[in-house]
Formats: sequence, structure tokens, C-alpha cells
Amino acid sequence: MPERHNGDVSTALAAVRAVARAPFTGRARRELLYCLLGLPFIVFLPFVGFFAVIALAQLAAGPWVTHGNPSVLAVLAAVAAAGLLILLLVTTGVTRALGGVCRDLARWLLGEHVTAPPARRPGLDARLRDGAGWRALAYLLLKVPVAALGAWAVIIYWGAGLVNLTYPFWWASFRNHPAGVRLSPVPVITPFGWLHGSFQIATFPGTFAAFAAGVIMLLAAPWVTRAVVSADRWLIRGLLGPGSLTQRLRDLEQTRALAVDDAAAQLRSLERNLHDGAQIRLATLAMNLGMAKKKLGTAGEVPDLEAVRDLVGAAHQGAKDALAELRELARGIHPAVLDNGLADALASLAAGNAIPAELAVSIPVRPTPAIESIAYFCAAELLANATKHSEARKIRIAVAGQDRVLVLRVTDDGQGGADPDRGTGLAGLAQRVAVVDGRLDIDSPPGGPTRVTVELPLRA
Amino acid sequence: MRIVIAEDAALFRAGLTRLLEDEGHQVCAAVADGGAMLAAVAQHEPDVVVADIRMPPTHTDEGLRAALELRRTHPATAILMLSQYIETRYAAELLQGSPAGVGYLLKDRVADVTEFTDAVARVAAGGTALDREVVSQLLNASRQAGGLDPLTARERDVLGLMAEGRSNAGIAAALVLSRGTVEKHVASIFDKLGLPASGGDNRRVLAVLRYLGS
Repeated sequence: MPERHNGDVSTALAAVRAVARAPFTGRARRELLYCLLGLPFIVFLPFVGFFAVIALAQLAAGPWVTHGNPSVLAVLAAVAAAGLLILLLVTTGVTRALGGVCRDLARWLLGEHVTAPPARRPGLDARLRDGAGWRALAYLLLKVPVAALGAWAVIIYWGAGLVNLTYPFWWASFRNHPAGVRLSPVPVITPFGWLHGSFQIATFPGTFAAFAAGVIMLLAAPWVTRAVVSADRWLIRGLLGPGSLTQRLRDLEQTRALAVDDAAAQLRSLERNLHDGAQIRLATLAMNLGMAKKKLGTAGEVPDLEAVRDLVGAAHQGAKDALAELRELARGIHPAVLDNGLADALASLAAGNAIPAELAVSIPVRPTPAIESIAYFCAAELLANATKHSEARKIRIAVAGQDRVLVLRVTDDGQGGADPDRGTGLAGLAQRVAVVDGRLDIDSPPGGPTRVTVELPLRA
Repeated sequence: MRIVIAEDAALFRAGLTRLLEDEGHQVCAAVADGGAMLAAVAQHEPDVVVADIRMPPTHTDEGLRAALELRRTHPATAILMLSQYIETRYAAELLQGSPAGVGYLLKDRVADVTEFTDAVARVAAGGTALDREVVSQLLNASRQAGGLDPLTARERDVLGLMAEGRSNAGIAAALVLSRGTVEKHVASIFDKLGLPASGGDNRRVLAVLRYLGS
């Protein structure tokens, strides 16, 4: 069976080629960079945490040292301080934010798309029981040993591997000592002896042993970093995502509460708009007509015809204004054009905008009406924000349906600095998006440009 | 009459001012919130205050709060509250103590100019003007509790108009009856419900409202 034999050979050759190429692939580079970027975790976090705990404990328990050793009180204070620090980090959302940075890093370098946990509900109780915050804390703590492993892989396999490769090239120029002089041998660092070298070389032929060790280490290096990165990915998926079933249930409870709050707030604002808008216009209109009717009398001459004309004119105008107001209100509840699809609705939204808005829509699969509605109102709100606050000259709305996700992106060339913590608009949008497990991403550095991305599932 | 208007919707405020001035009243001030209303009353000492219940800054019931404050500080100033919706609780708070010189009407009533200006005049004269929505809610509650069972349908109509604060003449005009017939109905109502007969319109309103409220 020569073909079979050929097949085996070519498979083996392909495998060898793959192994030989592995250190030079983009993936290996990105995973190497990812491990390098983990360094701050082993340097920064433990030290900052350690000193913060000591500082807090000293505040709480006075002098840290009594008779050369920490007193029981000091140790207790340190434990309490560590607890307090952790509590603070979780409740203020710092762990969530750091978790978000790690998630973004993993998406950027590793292509690991992990959905962000839903937005946190306001209120101290919700902050204390913020599962996503606590899981992010667990991740950050576990990330320290993982990052240490990553650093080890980078330094030994990649760093020492490269160094080992160089021995044959510089040996001749640096070790050309006169005969009779004895130089100490050079240690060669490998994974099996990485502190003092696993073997030592004293002669030029020996450098080829170091070279060979370097080649093997570099060939192994991408797999070692990949193993470390895989462990990290596993942690990210488990701890920085939306969470387990129990957690998911809690998140759903949260988003349901958000949805209920949101619905109530919308009804309230609807009532307010009716009360202050159409209702008062109609009351005024009725009043004007009442005055006109009284001036017209029941029969005969009308003494003040001019006033009657004036009143009827005002009533007529009032009726038209009330109609316009009601039309606006109805459109705010559900724009009729949305029934034709998101593309049409966004086109009419963009056309009516004060600042030119460019629109690019590509939706192969039509989302469910609820998703279309959320996407539409997000676009409307973002467009209004950009028009009102950004001083942009150009706005771009892009909507793209990818396999199961609808991505809406509104970009403007304005002054940036959009902050969901100021004003309720963006935070409200994030809540509404979270209700259907979507996410809202704001990228708006001071000075601009602003780019807001909304990701929604196609069906809710 | 000298009138202060407190209403946050500029359009309606302007219309109200025009209506009252057309009817020959003097609008001393037209303001947009409760605080300004108290200040305007202190400054102008008007006969009547026409005020919206829901005004800035909280858009809940600051008009009512300001009115209750006014009842304390300026008991002689009549107050006519306007609102886009009727809350029996608001009516109860407003009428607490005495219904003299107090009114609570839906804004819609402004469309009937004569009826509205009558209500303003009635309140200014120390009478009562209670919206028929409030009264019908009160009547409903009483009817369900069986309190109106002894009355005939016509007597119930008369009772409702009495609760709105109308005089016998007003009731007669509204129901197209003679004054004598109305007086007979009123006497019969008081007799059937066991209310103390009383002279003035105010005490009559109070008695009727107490009966309906209990």
C-alpha cells in the first residue's frame, strides 16, 4: 500500500514542519506577549496588596511591632484590614474593572471571547452580593501564580533558549585566552537546571551542546506558553464570564429587576410627557374654544369678532401642536417604520438628524422585534447624545448581523469624554442592553473620537 | 376680584390669565411654582389664588402643600386648586377643617367659561367648588356602603350638586327645576339622612361631605 505509506510520511513531515514553525507563528508571538503582560500581576498586585494591608492594619492597631514581633492585635488587625480591602475592591467595582481589563486583553491577544457579566445593580446590598465582582477577585488572586508560571516560561524557554543559541557565535571571540590560562566553565541554563545551569561548557565543541539545548527549548517554548495560556483561558472563562448556573440565575434576577425598573421608569416618563405635553395643550385648546364660544354668544351680533378670531386661531394652532406632540410621543413608544425592519427605521432616524449621519447596515438574519426595538432606541439615544454633546461634524452608524449577534456601532469625530457615570443616558442604555444579555462598550477618550458598540443577541 | 395664578405650564397660565382678565378680574401675578405663589400672595394679598397641584421642583403635590400653608397663614384668601387628575385624598386634605373658600377642579372644567368663573366667584365668596369627579367618587363609595339607599334618583342628583358646593339657585339652574322644588328635595335629603338642618351653604357642604366621607 504505497499510497498509505506516502500519506503517513507526508503527515509526519507536516507534523515536523508544524513543530519547526511553531515558534515563529503569530499565535506563539501573541501568547508570548500575553505572558509578558502578565508580569505586572506578579510584581504589582501582591506588593500593593501587601503594603495596603500593612498600612491599614497600622492605622487600626497602632504600632505594628511590639517586642520585635507582631502582636496578636496587629495580626488580627491585618486580617481585618485584608478583609476590608477586599470588600472595598469588590464593592467599588475595582475587581470588576480589572477583570474587564483581563477579559479585553484575552480577547485582543488570544481571541478568547468571553461575554462580560451583566451590569451591576445599584445599591449597597447588590454591591456586596456582586457575584461577578467576587469571581473577578478570585481570578485576580489565581492569576498571580498563573502569571508567575507564564513569566517562568518566558524567561527559561524563550529567554534562556535564545541565549543558548548564541554560544557558538561568541565563544571564539571571548574565550581566546592564551594557552595555560584556565577559565571557569560557563553554565548552560535549561528547564532542568535553571538556577545554576544543568551542565557547564568549557570548550568550543561544548557550545554546540548548548546550541542544541537552545533549539530544543525554543521548539518547546510555544507549547509551554500555550499550556500556561490555556490555564489562564480556562480561568477567564470560568471566572470572568457570566458565571455558573446559580450565578446565571442571580444575574437573571438582577436583569429582571432592571427590566421591571426600566419599564416602570418608562411608564412614569410617558405619563409625565402626556401630562406636561398633549394633555395641557388640549386643556388650553378647550379653554380657548370655551372663551370663543362664550364671546360668540347663543344668537345675534358678535360684539368682539376680532377676539373670537384670535381665540379660534389659537385653538387651531393648539390642536395642531397637540397632534404633533402626540405623534412624537407615539413614535417614542414604537416607531411604526420599525415594522419594516431596522434598516428602514435607522435610515429615517439618520435622515432626520441635525448632524449628517452615515449609515451602513448589513443584517442577513432579521432579529426578533424586541431586539430591533432595543437596537433602534440605542441608536436613537446615541445619535441624540452625539448630536447634543460631542460637537461632532460627522456621525457613523454601522449595524452588522454576525452569526448570532447584532453589533451596532455609533462613531463620531467629536470631542469624546462620554462617561456613563455622568448623566443617566448611557447607564440606562447599558441596563436596557443587559436585560437581553447584550453588552455596551464605550470608547470615548477626552478629545475624541467616541465609539460606542452595542452587542445584542439576535433573539431574546 | 384680585387673583394670583400659579401654574407651571406657560401656555395654560397665559390662557388662564386671559380668561380671567376677559371676565373683568385683575390678575396680580401669574407664577410657576409653589414658593413663588406664597411670595406673590404675601405681596399682593389677593382675593383668590388659582393654583395647579403638580408643579416644580418635585412635580408631585407642591401646589397642594403651598395651598395648605396658605390656609394657615392667610385664612381669608380663597384657594381654587386645578389639576389634570382627581385624587380624593387631595380633596380630603384640602377640605380638612373647613370647606369655606376652597375649591378643587379638573383643569378640563376651564373649557366651560361660565361654570369656571362661577366656581371662582363662589370660592372667593367663601363657598366651595368641588369637582363632580370627586363628588361622584364620594357618592360611589357611599352608595356601595348603602348610605344613599333611602334617596330617590333625583335626590341623589341634588345631593351631588350640594356636595360640589352649589347654592339652591345653582342646583335649580343645573337640573332645570324651580327653586322651591330644590328646597323641598334638600329638606327631604336632610331628613332621610338624619343630617342637622343648617342655614348657610358652607355648613351644608360640610354636613354633606362629612356624611359622604364617613
